[in-house]
Amino acid sequence: MPHPTPRPLAAAFLLASALSAQAVTAPPNGPRPVDPRWHALMHARLVARPGTMIEDATIVLRDGLVVSVEAGAAPPAGARVHDLRGRFVYPGLVEPHLPVEAPRPERASPGLHWNEKVTPQRRALDGEGTTKALREELRRLGYGAAAIAPRGGIFRGEAAMVLLHEPEDAPGRRATVVREGVYHTVGFETGGGYPSSLMGAIALVRQTLLDAAWRAECVAAQGADPAAVPLPPDEALAALAPGRAVPLLFDATDELDALRAAKIAKEARRPFLVLGSGLEFRRVAALAHSGAAVLVPLRFPRAPEIRSAAEAELATLRDLMAWEQGPTNARRLLAAGVRAAFTTDKLEKRGEVHAQVRKAIRHGLSEEQALGMLTVEPARLLGLEGLLGEVAPKRLANLVVCDGPLFAEDSQILDVWVGGQRYVIHTPQPQGLAGTWAAEFPGRDPARADLEINSKSRVTLVLGDKRVAARGETLRETRLSFVVADAALGAGSFAFTATLEAGALLGEAVAPDGTRFSWRAARSGDAKPESRSSRPADAADVPQDLLLPLGAYGLPAPPPQDALLLEGATLWTSGPAGIVEDGVLIVEQGRVVYAGPRAQAPPPPAGARRIDARGKHVSPGILDCHSHTGIARGVNEGSHAVTAEVRIQDVLDPDDVHWYRELAGGVTAVNQLHGSANPIGGQSQTTKLRWGVAIPDAMHMEGAKPGIKFALGENVKRANAPRGFGPPGAGAPETRYPATRMGVEVVLRASFAAARDYTLARERFSGVAPPGPVPPRRDLQLEALAEILAGERLIHCHSYRQDEILALARLAGEYGIRLGTYQHALEAYKVAPEVKDSALGASLFSDWWAYKMEVFDAIPEAGAILHEQGVVVSFNSDSDELARRLNGEAAKAVKYGGVAPADALRFVTLNPAIQLGVAGRVGSLEKGKDADFAIWSASPLSSYARCEATFVDGREYFSLAQDREHRARIGAERQRLVQKVLRGEEERRAAHGDSRPATGPRDADEEEREEARRRVRLRMERALHARLGYSCCRVEEVR
Amino acid sequence: MRGFRFVSLLAAAAFAHDACGQDLTPRAAPQQRDVILENATLHPVALPPIEGGALWFRAGRIHAIQRGRIEVPAGAASEPERIDLRGRHVYPGLIGAVSQVGLIEIDQVRATVDTAETGSFTPEVRALVAVNPDSTVLPVTRSNGVLASGVFPLGGVVPGRASVIQLEGWTWEEMRVADDAGLVVNWPGVRPPPRFSWALDQRRVEDEEGRIRESLRNLDEAFDSAQAYLAARAADPRLPVDVRKEAYGPTLRGAKPLFVRAQEVEQIQSAVAFAVRRGFRLVLVGARDAGRCLDLLRRHEVAVILEGTHVMPPRRDADYDEIFRLPAALEAAGIRWCLASGEEFYNERNLPYQAATAVAFGLSKEAALRAVTLSAAELLGVADRLGSLEAGKDATLIVTNGDPLEYATRIEHAWIAGRKLDLRNKQTELARRYRERYRK
Repeated sequence: MPHPTPRPLAAAFLLASALSAQAVTAPPNGPRPVDPRWHALMHARLVARPGTMIEDATIVLRDGLVVSVEAGAAPPAGARVHDLRGRFVYPGLVEPHLPVEAPRPERASPGLHWNEKVTPQRRALDGEGTTKALREELRRLGYGAAAIAPRGGIFRGEAAMVLLHEPEDAPGRRATVVREGVYHTVGFETGGGYPSSLMGAIALVRQTLLDAAWRAECVAAQGADPAAVPLPPDEALAALAPGRAVPLLFDATDELDALRAAKIAKEARRPFLVLGSGLEFRRVAALAHSGAAVLVPLRFPRAPEIRSAAEAELATLRDLMAWEQGPTNARRLLAAGVRAAFTTDKLEKRGEVHAQVRKAIRHGLSEEQALGMLTVEPARLLGLEGLLGEVAPKRLANLVVCDGPLFAEDSQILDVWVGGQRYVIHTPQPQGLAGTWAAEFPGRDPARADLEINSKSRVTLVLGDKRVAARGETLRETRLSFVVADAALGAGSFAFTATLEAGALLGEAVAPDGTRFSWRAARSGDAKPESRSSRPADAADVPQDLLLPLGAYGLPAPPPQDALLLEGATLWTSGPAGIVEDGVLIVEQGRVVYAGPRAQAPPPPAGARRIDARGKHVSPGILDCHSHTGIARGVNEGSHAVTAEVRIQDVLDPDDVHWYRELAGGVTAVNQLHGSANPIGGQSQTTKLRWGVAIPDAMHMEGAKPGIKFALGENVKRANAPRGFGPPGAGAPETRYPATRMGVEVVLRASFAAARDYTLARERFSGVAPPGPVPPRRDLQLEALAEILAGERLIHCHSYRQDEILALARLAGEYGIRLGTYQHALEAYKVAPEVKDSALGASLFSDWWAYKMEVFDAIPEAGAILHEQGVVVSFNSDSDELARRLNGEAAKAVKYGGVAPADALRFVTLNPAIQLGVAGRVGSLEKGKDADFAIWSASPLSSYARCEATFVDGREYFSLAQDREHRARIGAERQRLVQKVLRGEEERRAAHGDSRPATGPRDADEEEREEARRRVRLRMERALHARLGYSCCRVEEVR
Repeated sequence: MRGFRFVSLLAAAAFAHDACGQDLTPRAAPQQRDVILENATLHPVALPPIEGGALWFRAGRIHAIQRGRIEVPAGAASEPERIDLRGRHVYPGLIGAVSQVGLIEIDQVRATVDTAETGSFTPEVRALVAVNPDSTVLPVTRSNGVLASGVFPLGGVVPGRASVIQLEGWTWEEMRVADDAGLVVNWPGVRPPPRFSWALDQRRVEDEEGRIRESLRNLDEAFDSAQAYLAARAADPRLPVDVRKEAYGPTLRGAKPLFVRAQEVEQIQSAVAFAVRRGFRLVLVGARDAGRCLDLLRRHEVAVILEGTHVMPPRRDADYDEIFRLPAALEAAGIRWCLASGEEFYNERNLPYQAATAVAFGLSKEAALRAVTLSAAELLGVADRLGSLEAGKDATLIVTNGDPLEYATRIEHAWIAGRKLDLRNKQTELARRYRERYRK
């Protein structure tokens, strides 16, 4: 469950302290003030909790708590009575995440974590917390309580729920802390040393949680042993002890981060919450499945900028759709069963919160749901449902009083009660001044006139058919004043004031000559109903069904897994059958049932989809043994020499459009590798191109052997880095170890040695059960290295020169390791037997060379030579673009060195499968293997070949026909959305023009921003014209 | 066919010392004796293929080309060497329109890189004088049939002047086809920054706007001040020489084209407007968005050198084959264009495959071949010497066992200006050498 166990102890303590009101305070300056803190709010229309409306409610508050809520009840004697006739009362809103500054631990403090971004011992309460301005701002919006959380870092520290009253109004003159330790905030923050990548940040989080659990075990074991040497203090890890049951709140940059968080928390068996991004709607089902509860920001994606045809083209459908769908986020989350609360965090301007909620409501969120997400839900997600979020006995006396329904466009918040203290937000105007009045000016000429007063207290003097607008109208309490300057009254300005008394205006005026005269006015008619600003239409035109991934080439659902009968093609099986003319391929349930000559083909399964492939060529799906496609936020964790703990699988981005483009090149699986910045990089991932998955892990190839990236040579010794290059703390190139190939070998040797020691140490404790000694700390880096030694994880090593290849081969030999591949390995042809003996194979570039010193001896015949020597050879891309044309790369093995065509194609099909330990599953068209294949217009080794269709697991993820449909859909959707963006712009401009809306408060800042936008727009237009001073061609304006 | 002596051991030893980029492939001698290639399928490019054709070249120039056997008039000074090329194809040497071959030996070894001079405006430099005739890249490139290349300096706004070389010669002078092919301009990025984005604050938007305006102003000023200088010097020859401003002369006079590297629609529009206003002959280089302004390019007769087809579409929503189809789009629109490889300097040899991809996506094979031969020669201003098999042009040609745009096709012989090339290179010799290690 995402929320912590409620702690009745803390709640009871709070109640006691609130009731006592006898805290120690500074001596008063003057008589001791007494505030009974006892109120009765009468006749209110109370929405006690979402869906529960109580008419004529009497709400009794005492000592900061709600004492009773009852319809029509009389006020208790002694309570101060507040008449809320006609008012709406709601529970005070609860802000579940309010980042604040908090002090960082001193450098010398005990138990400082080695990484300065890991500061779970920080506490939001240790700093200033909320500022007065922040409290006021939140109260104005109806908030009575907020969880304050330290800002910045990876483990940022502990949050606390506090009330948003002013300290001087609180018992003990200190803001009430509702609950300490509501959660630990975790952010995947990078930069300034380790971690420099998202996967590094995740690895650090994972290791730290393990360390905290391990330390807690040690502490417990030590407690049981009186003779034990005390453990050194470790405040950081102690703060994260699992026994404290403080949930983790993960700050997510997008919905994939949220899924990552869920995975980490589940692994560590920690309760967790997600601070969302506003993009959750892209994957609500996956989020629901993950069990994440989300604090949903009210930030909606902006509309892309569109000022010209060129910009319209630049706007991606993904961004356009996100802009349109953003406001449906909350509605979709709730519909999917995700528990969610609103937060004002991440809003550019917190003041927009109500406008944004209304927008969400127009996009299908019910008002009840909206209220819940602002009150009970945040309270419940933070385990505070007995204290906050509803108006009920024993709850904290946090209320919002409005002059209308909370979500109505023109309602205003009048009062906010926090901990039983009233804060006036807005004083309502006296009722009834608006209307027409018959005014008399005894002894003056004219002696009579009509006054029209509108709801904004704008005054118009009507003299016969002449209408004179007054100036300087002010309304204070019941006192109205205004100035009239018009010849009809005489030369000069007349200043009028009047007070509403018993339904009439009685007043006085000063004439230009200084003479005073009194006047009076009696009501002659009601206010005319004023035309309201047109309410923005409901978002009925927003499509309900979303594509996965959102945007261009997204799919409404995965392609069907039909039984297939493909006939007539030349089959390049890459298996023992070789190349089969007029072949037949039969697929059932995503597996190859038959691939071979027509003569021996079994009868096709009933209802199989028939594909006439006469004249076509069919190959196994292309397998790219070196890819960096779809790796989110950092391919390298290069800040340390060894980062075996980081995992590409943690950061797989299934929405990268390059997946689709690679499918269009016949690629069906890749080896997603960490970069080559350090000798031992991260763990790799063998991935199938299942485009459009909801859960990234669904792209993992089942049963694939785990891998890891190593790297040698110029990159890791930073030979080509400019001086001073590299993240701070990582050391300048000239100071960081290793700086030579000698040092690289040592880093590897030392790592293997450490891994062996680690394995031995762990083994000694296998089978030891509590209360035995605590086993050694789990170290995810050493664990991955130990897997290499155990033969469970394949090394894929970036390497070039023969000396470094040989050095690794011999070192691996010492440890009994057989490598997966030498990657790039452009000099592997010089040491073919050594390569063959030490690795499953070599994975090369077909013909790259001369881009740096260590590749100057690279030759395109390398593939052929290694192949001749019995090495399993693959050609890879290391590039999203080249990945689309790996069949052509294979063809170069025919050209350079005369490899037989069928063998050459294996360089990009079966051979990489062997190298990745997945040849039992993919790489060739053989019975029982996955139906991963591509259909080509010509021999796949022809430079004129075009991929016409690509199947993964028997599902057609790409075909020319489908691609045409995508294009038509993309074109139409883009057109619709671009028009919608432009229309929105028009409407905004029109609204901002001459006629300001008659009702509804206008956000001054919004106006300012609008004005700034207008200025910039003008400047841009001028700049554009200046540029086109040359003009013979006109920038095509968007139509 | 003339044989040649090649001491393999010596060569192997020599290749071992080539870490600094010293090429030791044997050089060809100038053509002494006439050569007639017979019984070949000739692909003149400017004309349809000639089956069973014969091609006669003499003193480095094509002397005659025709169907059937060429009879040499009696009384010729010497009997031509006749080479029977039954089953073989003859093409003009391929031309890499834009590259840096000869200017770089190893990309990340700075000492071997001579592509970009200091400063944003360096029209005074020309590529030719920095071409290293002994670069190992040259024999590797020509052994796949690429026999000539435009060499373009890089960097800044006006990086210098492009040259055209043939990929063989004892000195750069011998390699020279055109010393000054035209002035190169890298068009400044002119796409306005987003007004309001999460990332950019207003000041940065304004800075960016200012930067765009300034770079365009600087470009204008460079040409204006050069024009003024040239006029002044014409009027008063005692005025001191400004080598930099002199370099704008040929383009300002209209004698040379202006090569403008521009990719985005806005850049192309801006560059076309500039060139039209000043009356320059504009050749766009790169022009990834050319398909979005075909009318504009046609209206102003702007020529385009595409840089490769193996390029990712720059926009997320784009058709996956947007760039693959671009050549066909230009061809259909009737725009003068050619195809440069877009490859790194060391893989200029892959030029034919870039062209082949365009064929897979709608271009005719004939147009694809022309795009890497005659059209390239035309846009570089060297069509009088290169690009097609025509009498009077250089005997710069290749003999293949098939379509040179196909991966598997081999280049069997090649001549540059009548000089028979040795198609071995550092890479073939390394392959041979290490196969030695494995000989049983």
